[in-house]
Amino acid sequence: MGRYRLHVNGERRDVDVPGETPLLWALREQLGLLGPKYGCGVGACGACTSLVDGKAARPCVTAVGEAEGKRITTIEGLSEDGDHPVQRAWLELDVAQCGYCQPGQIMSTVALLAANPDPDDAEIDAALRDNVCRCGTYTRVRAAVRLAARMKRGER
Amino acid sequence: MKISRRTFLGGVLVVGVPVALPGSAQAADEFAPNVFVRLDDRGRITVTAPKPESGQGVRTMVALLVAEELMVGLDDVRLEQAHGDTARFGSQAVGGSFSARQLHEPLRRAAATARCLLVTAAARRWGVPVEECAARDGAVRHGRRVLRYGSLVRDAAALDPATVPVTLTPPERWRLLGRTRAGRVDAKAIMTGKARYGIDTRPPGTLVAVVLRPQWIGAVVDAVDDRAAKAVPGVVAVTTLDPATSGQGGVAVIARSVPEALRGREALRVTWRGGTPTADSRQWLADLETALPAVPTAPGPVAFEATYKLPLLAHAPMEPMNATAHVTAAGLTVWTPTQDPGTLRLILARQFGLDQAAVRVETALTGGSFGRRIEFDPVLEAVACSRVAGAPVSVLWTRDDDMRHDSYRPMSVHRLAAVVDAEGVPTWRAHGVATWPLNILPFFDNPDIVKANGDHFPYTVPGQVDVTLRDAPLRTGFWRSVYAGHFQYAEESFLAELGHRAGLDQVELRRRLLPADSRLRRVLDVAASRAGHVRPGVTRGVACHEEYGSVVAVVADASEGRVRRVTAAVDVGPVLHLSGVRAQVEGGVMDALSTVSGAQITVRDGRVVQSSFRDYAWARIDQAPDVDVVLVPSDAPVGGVGELSYPPAAAAIAFATGRPVTGMPVGVGVG
Repeated sequence: MGRYRLHVNGERRDVDVPGETPLLWALREQLGLLGPKYGCGVGACGACTSLVDGKAARPCVTAVGEAEGKRITTIEGLSEDGDHPVQRAWLELDVAQCGYCQPGQIMSTVALLAANPDPDDAEIDAALRDNVCRCGTYTRVRAAVRLAARMKRGER
Repeated sequence: MKISRRTFLGGVLVVGVPVALPGSAQAADEFAPNVFVRLDDRGRITVTAPKPESGQGVRTMVALLVAEELMVGLDDVRLEQAHGDTARFGSQAVGGSFSARQLHEPLRRAAATARCLLVTAAARRWGVPVEECAARDGAVRHGRRVLRYGSLVRDAAALDPATVPVTLTPPERWRLLGRTRAGRVDAKAIMTGKARYGIDTRPPGTLVAVVLRPQWIGAVVDAVDDRAAKAVPGVVAVTTLDPATSGQGGVAVIARSVPEALRGREALRVTWRGGTPTADSRQWLADLETALPAVPTAPGPVAFEATYKLPLLAHAPMEPMNATAHVTAAGLTVWTPTQDPGTLRLILARQFGLDQAAVRVETALTGGSFGRRIEFDPVLEAVACSRVAGAPVSVLWTRDDDMRHDSYRPMSVHRLAAVVDAEGVPTWRAHGVATWPLNILPFFDNPDIVKANGDHFPYTVPGQVDVTLRDAPLRTGFWRSVYAGHFQYAEESFLAELGHRAGLDQVELRRRLLPADSRLRRVLDVAASRAGHVRPGVTRGVACHEEYGSVVAVVADASEGRVRRVTAAVDVGPVLHLSGVRAQVEGGVMDALSTVSGAQITVRDGRVVQSSFRDYAWARIDQAPDVDVVLVPSDAPVGGVGELSYPPAAAAIAFATGRPVTGMPVGVGVG
């Protein structure tokens, strides 16, 4: 066991787990952050996608030991009241069906737009291809990414 | 339907109306209200969503139906999720694309009854005729006078509903149903990470368990060495699950946290016996082909014959199977994502010899179901673990567990034959099917039932469909569209091939085989017109489907090896929720794309090969076409939509690939 100091959603949070513990379970079980979803545990579905130092990462295959000292943002830390442009775009286009993958889709999109404010469809597809949606919301996801990009640039 | 009952309980108006259960012979004078609309004296409107949300939008539909008839906004209706109780809520199952058909009328009637009582109460208070009063925006109005609903609740509840005529708002006057662009009611909670799914439900003091599952199909535990597992820090107990009573069997490791339970599972040493350690899905397919029924005697020379082979498919919902149970001296409480909390409660009471009142089944949002959560195997595992641990236990299925221990869509082999006229248009058809029953439900072990479920051939071509069933060699269950996904995929693929051979236009061929005044021909025309001319370099597939009281026509266009655009025209009768109906059609199209382009489950050496989305090749966003859903309203009764688009979308997409279609997936070895 070790005590690790995490920096999550702007707060210092200590977790008392072995260093190899997947960050996802520290977030969910130790810190009660249930927004990042367990979907596969092997980094193959993207349901847990969160930001680590601003980049899209998979907490299910990131060890707590590796995450120490880095800035972690989960879906809960994205905005106070769901008013981040990506969340607003998702709401406007009613993207979600079951919704289970959507925190991951949203966080991947946040990372994409931070690096590329005006992605074309091929760039959207490349950035989100490892976020699986089983309900089939992809066409709405793609449209929502474009809408979020416009909102973020202040065009909406 | 009998008039609704209202009760007045501490300042609350409750209107309950009965939901007629399909096939039930409820006596006309019997009164069993099971949907409820409540108004309190502050005017707050609450409705119980009797059925669980799996992403199909049932909660939003419930709220919309009530908001429409109570003349308020969607945001003015608060939803409560029903716990499992069939005596109180009627059938709580979601399946068969049935929820809209079952719930739309009673929910509207319950809300309309409340509205008519409120309007009558206001009219009496003012001493004016009821006809001069109107309900709008949470209040009853007469000229410039306004009474909020909350101030009328007490009077309304005192009225005898038998004296108050109830009128439903006709579709042409709907404000919200089929009109509003509002999204689903849970959207904001989902987007902010606040939505709670079954997997997020852990009462205080809950332990977690993971199960080492049979290492090949049908294997049972022979011997367990759990010394190393029990030595793992955090592991609390290890218990062997009896497949006769506790799901699919295996050895459960109960621990304080998921990582500790997983480390404990890795440390288990278990030997297995029995089962079919050499099973191979290629052999299963070959056995089915051998079992195909003979082609019946044709009324003329058979012009063309073709065989189609379909693979196993997994449900793979994004939220893996899971359940939490707490066994106490007083009874049993279960929290789980399920498609049927009511039946689950009945089964638990029966299996564990408990009074129904001692069994509580709670359900939160569900991260996808697709037919898998009609079954309760994780719940039985959680109950067994809670008994051993003497605490609430949450059983988590890893993705690997979920994919390798599903109840799969059966494999099938189809042989089709046709007699054609001088132009190549079919005049007779034969369709032989060899497949397996859905062995999770004995009811399906009957070729006539399977045929009735799968055979929805909509065209005016006489013929014969024969079904042969072989015992399923592994667990098989309901998968979106059920057997229609097999039968109509084969039928439409075969019709496409006939048209292609005769050089006929795919739309024109189908138009000729549909009655001129049919709903299906109308949506076919709409879809074809919307899709427009076939551009150079584009290959197009077309298919139709009629089921659940609804019709759909799908046109798929592909170019350069990728499906670019799918146009679907649907007539579901009156549309209740615009975004929701579109979403269901889009979802069926994407399932079609996935299963045509590569997703399948295979079995080697007795074991399912696929273990995650890495090797279960579900479609990703970079394969997704644009999907254009055209809603074609009609005055037909409200129809179902959840499973409507999958079969024709699969056939249309398969043909559009331009590759020879010999089954599913296209261009990949099956099995």
